[in-house]
Amino acid sequence: MVSVRNLSHSYGNDGRLAVDDVSFDIGKGETFGFLGPSGAGKSTTQGVLTGLLRLQKGEVTVAGYDLRTVRKERFNKIGVSFEQANVYSKLTALENLRFYADLFDAPTRDPHELLELVGLAGRENDRAGSFSKGMKHRLAFARSMLNYPELWFLDEPTTGLDPAIAAVIKGVIKAEQAKGTTTFLTTHNMYIADELCDRVAFIVDGSIKLVDTPRNLKQRYGKKLVEVEYLRDDGSIAKETLRTVDEGDRERLAGIVRSRDIVTMHSKEATLEEIFIQITGRGLD
Amino acid sequence: MAMIAKVMRILRRDSLVASRDSMLIIILAMPVLMAVGIQLFAPGIADSVVRIGLLDDDPADHAAFVAEYARVERFGSVAELERRIAKRDEIAGMVRSGDGYEIVVQGDEGPDLLNYAKLLNALYELGGSRDDSTASVLSFGKAVSPIKAKLANMLILMMVMLSGMTISLGIVEEKSDDTISAVNVSPVSQNAFIVGKSLLGGLSTLASIVIALLILGYSGVNWPMIILVGLTSMVLTFIVGFLQGLSSTDVIEAATGVKMTMLPIAGSIAGYELLSDKWQWTMYWSPFYWAYKANDLILTERADWPTVLLCAAMVSGISLAIYLVAIPRIREGLS
Ligand SMILES: Nc1ncnc2c1ncn2[C@@H]1O[C@H](COP(=O)(O)OP(=O)(O)OP(=O)(O)O)[C@@H](O)[C@H]1O
Ligand SMILES: [Mg+2]
Repeated sequence: MVSVRNLSHSYGNDGRLAVDDVSFDIGKGETFGFLGPSGAGKSTTQGVLTGLLRLQKGEVTVAGYDLRTVRKERFNKIGVSFEQANVYSKLTALENLRFYADLFDAPTRDPHELLELVGLAGRENDRAGSFSKGMKHRLAFARSMLNYPELWFLDEPTTGLDPAIAAVIKGVIKAEQAKGTTTFLTTHNMYIADELCDRVAFIVDGSIKLVDTPRNLKQRYGKKLVEVEYLRDDGSIAKETLRTVDEGDRERLAGIVRSRDIVTMHSKEATLEEIFIQITGRGLD
Repeated sequence: MAMIAKVMRILRRDSLVASRDSMLIIILAMPVLMAVGIQLFAPGIADSVVRIGLLDDDPADHAAFVAEYARVERFGSVAELERRIAKRDEIAGMVRSGDGYEIVVQGDEGPDLLNYAKLLNALYELGGSRDDSTASVLSFGKAVSPIKAKLANMLILMMVMLSGMTISLGIVEEKSDDTISAVNVSPVSQNAFIVGKSLLGGLSTLASIVIALLILGYSGVNWPMIILVGLTSMVLTFIVGFLQGLSSTDVIEAATGVKMTMLPIAGSIAGYELLSDKWQWTMYWSPFYWAYKANDLILTERADWPTVLLCAAMVSGISLAIYLVAIPRIREGLS
């Protein structure tokens, strides 16, 4: 569905690359996550893939269209949800969806049904300008599903939403996945990546450090953490998390076991975030 | 086909927002109100400005004939009439002498007034009337009040400028809501978007030009000519509207920016009106000069198609040149 080869993108002429030689593929029906801290280049990548940013360098095919030739009709198959909710403040929720629906040359979904889906039922006829940030975000999210997209771009779909609403949105995304929608999702939330993505790319400073399934990552790195609690000389309890793959950590663990009173010790499954830190040397926020 | 439907959809959306936006309604209603104002509060300028003095005992048919073409004042005696003529403003007297009429003037009047009075006299003696007179008779020029024509002309150019402001406001809305990016990831081409975004400003301005001219009593004007010149002169303000909308962050900024086109418009009007024939060429660069000139000829019924087409071609040519310079910036701003 998406094929990206050696994509680079720079905003200025200073040679600084917001995206630096990135390559990946997204298969049909797959949910592919871009996990990385702020400024990593996630939105920039989505911008190029959706055609909002000009393709500067690299080869990109999206939904069967080569991005070097601009064909607007491809958007009949694509849905895009933005990082910043962007809806017409002077139109009602319903009018926003109706207007956008009319721009497609393809069948579109019932706006009422979509508003219901994202929890905006009852607010159809309120102006979007009177909505809270989270409500606007949900409206823009609903809009991205209007044309039954085969390929769906979601930039931070749950960021800034309260947990209950985030759960609703996650549910909607899962339902679409079940229907076979191909999804490109960016996030700096490891739980989202873990829960929703078939494969995750770790992106830092514009480059992809690794691509794998969350499960493989956890199997490969997961059992290799040991959490140990021991008594200090003054009687207080110290707690350390040590990596069994790291030579220094192993020495340290051996030393603790040899010379200290162990309170608890167990191997632990690493979260994606801990794996992210192991691999990239950087945290997610 | 699909493209036209989308263009119309954008127009419908814009109209809906405009109907909710008092600012836009004011912009659109203002010129019509000004036309009503001109018509109501300045009835004098609606009449012919040529003044002719007649004696009270002037035959009714002659007096009625003259009144059709000029503002008539009546006097009890020749002495009274002469005292009036001696005043500073321009008025010619027509006094019966023998079979015909004598034209009485002070001597310092412009040649136009004297010629006009003479022509009127000749026309009367020939038994001509306005209805069966030929164009050459009408074209002695003052059948349509020139001041009113100038005011109507200025009003038209003001409306043209306002169309740019309407477009600018529409773009500012898309910008502040950041909705252009949403439209950019829909199957709407940028051209369709630009045309769609121009329609409300364009159509409403054409409509208010027509309404204003009807209010001002120009129902008999050559409409195809007026609309051709109106459309071509709008192209430039559209470009200004788009550029200004794209570079402004709020409504006030956009409005201020478009108002700057008032400068070349005012300059063009002043140039056309005040510069002698020898210096008119210094205004040829301005599309508004050509638009004003064309409208002036059309409103005073002196226009012919070759001249109007030349003016329209000059307006479009200059606008096209500016468009070619501006379009990369517009396209970039919209993406
Ligand atoms: N419009 C822009 N102009 C200049 N630089 C930009 C622009 N947008 C992003 N950048 C820069 O490009 C880099 C990548 O930004 P990007 O928005 O892609 O990050 P991100 O991974 O989406 O971050 P976040 O999680 O905060 O959304 C950053 O260094 C950012 O400063
Ligand atoms: Mg981002």
